[in-house]
Amino acid sequence: MASLPVIVVHGGAGNIPRARESMSSAGVREAAKAGYVCLQAGGSAMDAVVEAVTLLENNPTFNAGRGSVLTQKGTVEMDAIVMDGRTLASGAVSAVRRIANPVQLARLVMDKTSHLCLTAEGASQFARNMGIPEVQEESLITEYSIMRWRKNLSPDANPVESHMGKMGTVGAVAVDLQGNIACATSTGGMLNKMEGRVGDTPCIGCGAYADNKLGAVSPTGHGEAIMKVTLSRLILFYMEQGKSVREAADMGLAYMWDRVQGRGGVVVVDPKGEWVARFNSLQMAWAAAQGGQLHYGMYGEEHFTRDIQEQKEPEPQSQEAHSPTRSTDTHTDTQ
Amino acid sequence: MEPTIVVHGGAWAVPDSLAEASVAGVKAAARDGFAILKIGGSALDAVELAERALEDDLAAFDAGCGAVLNTDGEVELDGKTLAAGAVSSVRNITHPVTLARAVMEKTDHIMLTDRGASQFAESIGITTVPTDALMTESERREWEHYKKYAPEPNPFCSVRGHDTVGAVALDHRGNLACVTSTGGIRNKMVGRVGDTSIIVSGGYDDDQSGAVSCTGHGESIMKVTLARLILFNMELGNRVCLARDAVDVSLAYMGERVQGGGGAIAIAPSGDWAARFTTQRMVWATAKGESLFYGLDPQDMFEEKLSK
Repeated sequence: MASLPVIVVHGGAGNIPRARESMSSAGVREAAKAGYVCLQAGGSAMDAVVEAVTLLENNPTFNAGRGSVLTQKGTVEMDAIVMDGRTLASGAVSAVRRIANPVQLARLVMDKTSHLCLTAEGASQFARNMGIPEVQEESLITEYSIMRWRKNLSPDANPVESHMGKMGTVGAVAVDLQGNIACATSTGGMLNKMEGRVGDTPCIGCGAYADNKLGAVSPTGHGEAIMKVTLSRLILFYMEQGKSVREAADMGLAYMWDRVQGRGGVVVVDPKGEWVARFNSLQMAWAAAQGGQLHYGMYGEEHFTRDIQEQKEPEPQSQEAHSPTRSTDTHTDTQ
Repeated sequence: MEPTIVVHGGAWAVPDSLAEASVAGVKAAARDGFAILKIGGSALDAVELAERALEDDLAAFDAGCGAVLNTDGEVELDGKTLAAGAVSSVRNITHPVTLARAVMEKTDHIMLTDRGASQFAESIGITTVPTDALMTESERREWEHYKKYAPEPNPFCSVRGHDTVGAVALDHRGNLACVTSTGGIRNKMVGRVGDTSIIVSGGYDDDQSGAVSCTGHGESIMKVTLARLILFNMELGNRVCLARDAVDVSLAYMGERVQGGGGAIAIAPSGDWAARFTTQRMVWATAKGESLFYGLDPQDMFEEKLSK
């Protein structure tokens, strides 16, 4: 039953290695719960999505914040966006380095400037002006991301294909008790991307869109494909023409596959609190909280439901420790 | 298919002192681009050539040369594959639009920003020029004066230089292309990315629905994803004035929803075209068949025969 408030989060579409499945699932469930607690306490949809995405950025399992994939040069450059469906206000940062929570910086761009997007060095300058501490680049890098970076430096590697093997972007959409809608998306981008590459995430209408009159979308998948079809806005156009959240999401993903052979996934809500998590990749870790229930899944039509109060969270098997230096990497590889 | 090209030189309160030069600039750019289309050239080559002509026009426009330090450029073409390229916050490049095309053709990505964009330019042999060459003296003075960022008081009636230039074209094979380039708003924060380089907002084209290039208050354009919105309205429309109605409806929505002014040029796959705006003025020119159409004030529709 659709009801308010509601929050839906995703941890990226792709192929999730079995060893990482439980960590991914636990991560999105935790984020959905945290956002829901915020909404139930009367918090705004914007507060809830930023809270949920912040947790996902802090979780090294996901390709956002700590745990981001590396550029060709082995650095971390992150993109993030937020959008407020009341006013269509939005804030984004692209190719930003050495901060822990790009989604929070994106929100500051929205709240404190009259611009929508700041990039690279300009975004860093703005972060400094806002008193956001600069973090060591190493603190954002995990052994797993270094392993994947090395593996994809070889000339015959296909980072696009391989990217689907690492959980992609993270995101959240929510409707609060007042009926206001917001969304947020954050990512480390594409595996072994060129320095300065900007994907779909910080581009309004591609990496996020929210409008109180229509709903909200946060996508994940092959960024260049998402940009070409402007996936988030496309799905909302379908909803504007009377499609349900599920029909609209499926039509948008099908169009992206037909037109530019891109795969991905989305979480979508509408103003009544109808929601859906859909994808045409093998997996997408997602979780939703509504009416005291926690919904979650990872494969195709998988949909588990449990009481949100239930304490029995399966513990992740191992927490990935971040590596203080890259020399500790022990994975065998070509380089 | 009858080749058509439409160019614009920015939607804003163009002062009378710049009016003549601006009109002459877009007319020349439309002629240049149209010459390519007439000999069977592609829509992409035509818009790029027109755009470069505008970027070089120091006297009238503010993209590329004459731009305020940071520039964005976007090219989007091949409505067949939706391939696209863009650069944002790139410095010291005379033709951001050519660099954007290189991003599309030579990388797997769509958009490069800042230092990464500059490094890419260097790696493919696009030369950079000293900042001085991109700034006119009056711009430098103004920039020094306004370096401390202040929001635009009223985006609807901005009178300061705020030029985006753009072009859309339809070639004889029925392919569409669009391109947009800008110096962005004066006194923008370092690293501010406007609508130009954002695929849905500054420009969008799809052989199945049409091509659009937008100008005006960048943040408003982004909020309503104006270019994509116009194309959605074109997809839904079945009226005679397909392009004009779609642009008007979309600009009205932008004014109503986020109180933003702007303008757009559009071409439908049928060749139906429009150049419309809600700002005080927008300089534009269209070459089609034997005629060159152009205008500056809202109801303008001048026509002259293309010579030769």
